[in-house]
Amino acid sequence: MIPADLVHHLARFSRALREHGVAVSLSDEADGLEALTLVDVGDRDEVRRALSAALKIRPRDAAVFAELFALLWSSGAADPAAHRPPPPRVPDPLHGPSAPRRAPRPAAWPAGLVPAADVLPTGDEPGFSPEAVLRQKPFEELSAADLQAMERLLARLTLRLATRPSRRLVPTPGRGTIDLRRSFRKALAHGGEFLSLARRTRPIERARLVVLCDTSGSMDPYTRFLLTFVLALHRVARTSRSTEIFAFNTSLVRLTPSLRSLRPERIDLVLDKLAARVPDWSGGTRIGECLATFTHAYLDELVNGQTIVLILSDGLDRGDLTPLQGALRALQRRARRVLWLNPLAGDRRYEPTARAMAAALPYVDHLLPAHNLESLERLLPLLTA
Amino acid sequence: MRPEIAELQDAMERLGYIADPAITTALFLSREMRRPLLIEGDAGVGKTEIAKVLARLLETELIRLQCYEGLDVSTSLYEWNYQRQMLRLRIAEQDGGKTAEEIEDLIFGRSYLLERPLLRAITRREGPPVLLIDEIDRADDAFEAFLLEVLSDFQVTIPELGTIRAEHVPYVILTSNRTREIGDALRRRCLYLYIEHPSLDKEVRILRARVPEAGAVLAAEIGRFVQALRRRQLSKAPGVAETIDWAQALLHLHSAHLDRETVEQTLGCLLKDHHDLRELGPDALTADLADAVAAREETAAS
Repeated sequence: MIPADLVHHLARFSRALREHGVAVSLSDEADGLEALTLVDVGDRDEVRRALSAALKIRPRDAAVFAELFALLWSSGAADPAAHRPPPPRVPDPLHGPSAPRRAPRPAAWPAGLVPAADVLPTGDEPGFSPEAVLRQKPFEELSAADLQAMERLLARLTLRLATRPSRRLVPTPGRGTIDLRRSFRKALAHGGEFLSLARRTRPIERARLVVLCDTSGSMDPYTRFLLTFVLALHRVARTSRSTEIFAFNTSLVRLTPSLRSLRPERIDLVLDKLAARVPDWSGGTRIGECLATFTHAYLDELVNGQTIVLILSDGLDRGDLTPLQGALRALQRRARRVLWLNPLAGDRRYEPTARAMAAALPYVDHLLPAHNLESLERLLPLLTA
Repeated sequence: MRPEIAELQDAMERLGYIADPAITTALFLSREMRRPLLIEGDAGVGKTEIAKVLARLLETELIRLQCYEGLDVSTSLYEWNYQRQMLRLRIAEQDGGKTAEEIEDLIFGRSYLLERPLLRAITRREGPPVLLIDEIDRADDAFEAFLLEVLSDFQVTIPELGTIRAEHVPYVILTSNRTREIGDALRRRCLYLYIEHPSLDKEVRILRARVPEAGAVLAAEIGRFVQALRRRQLSKAPGVAETIDWAQALLHLHSAHLDRETVEQTLGCLLKDHHDLRELGPDALTADLADAVAAREETAAS
């Protein structure tokens, strides 16, 4: 028999966990209750261990769980009513009331940068197509109308993003290894004669993509376009689980869950909403620490031999280089490929001399420019195979 | 603490598995609630071992399904024995006198079915087995979805035979090295346990249980040294499995305690990565060794 106050108490505890970004579902709660009936509720440590197993607390949520448990779970769980949940104190960039809602504004349109009419090529140039112009126009000079055109172009480009063969075998009408099970089934229809053999082959599989996007002030003119590109990639990816997006400046924020909750709409609207969820948008950068946070909390689960890691940053960082190098080394060892997109690299005179960029270079498979659409197009083949 | 949990802990210890309360509580709950237990943790912390010990504890069979990318129904659940079916078909044709239905019933009988681990786990008659689904993170999303179905109902449908229900619901243990995030749906079906590297005290007890030939002094030194290694920023921290290997290697070299030369010769048992070996230069090694040996002097003094 479960005492009613225990049910209340568990519900309150689960709600506190959810408020702190720990995903606890109703079915987890039910499991938690069942577990509580099986253990000694007088033994606080045992209750903690049981709840940790039943609520499926992952290592990255373990600290929040331990803290909330200490706060909310009195040793005599029989009298939980005395304990109103105190205001949660665990810092959380997304939901924590302790993080003041600073209403971070997304990077504004580079409004003054709409190109003057005389810069635009006229129609009688040989081989002119508006698309071609769009492809070479630096991002800083794009207008809002250009952006929409670019979205369409991107959507088309990214469709070509086919990659390496999967290990799973699927039926094919063409060539492949013989599929005995289906061959046999088909033969039965003809009295056991194998008129034709069924075959299986390895289908093409898209790479998984992890994108780490720098949203610091120095990246402002580029961030929106790069994120547009990334969102377009996210759209065409076969499953929502194949693209992960993180934003970083002075801290790291995982954007993927927010993407899932947003209904598909125009990319610029999505961008505004995303920007609102990133604290300190247009602020400073601590690349090294942010990448180290990533490797610590997410590397194991999100990066494997099929993952291409895309870092979008100008590498302007004055911080300590050791964490940056450590993180990049860990990334490179694990990922299929690490690509660094640097908008500054679009300039022919650019040399990766910024301290962080120079330190990062040995651990990056490709350093690529990312200042216009053409440069992103050149990136596409690298996202395959 | 529930007496049953304490009992479970003792029983596991008798079988050579030193478990902490977090492990036994999760295992106890999974057994009582009849839910699969998903165990995550770094390589070598003893995830797979839990399933083996559980099987010995329950005196039942351990059925193991090793996952890999591209694992599908024909390698995890069942496959027809085509060669045998075909032979039988030819013989039946020569004999004559059998109708098509009779032949079909014959060759799609249970004896022509090759049982793979999942099917074997649910059709075992002698009582529930322990089903170990090892390294589920290596399988792909598609297999995970299929597994979810099997683990929810413990029944499978084979078109030619019909639905087979589990004789006994097996004890299921899934392990993951976290090379991929396990889907929420599957996670929800399971209870969850994350195993950390053991504390010094626990590691020494594990060593004493698994390598009893190593004396208390050597075990303590090894424990200290490995703990010091784990505190360093290594890309592959040594797990308990490596510690045990290393202790055995030291015993083969007849080392009663750690000395620099032996440690340098055998470091490959612990660090299996070129970069880590380089990272642990002479200075770091000296520091860690001094740390480990300090324990010996303390023990000797007391």
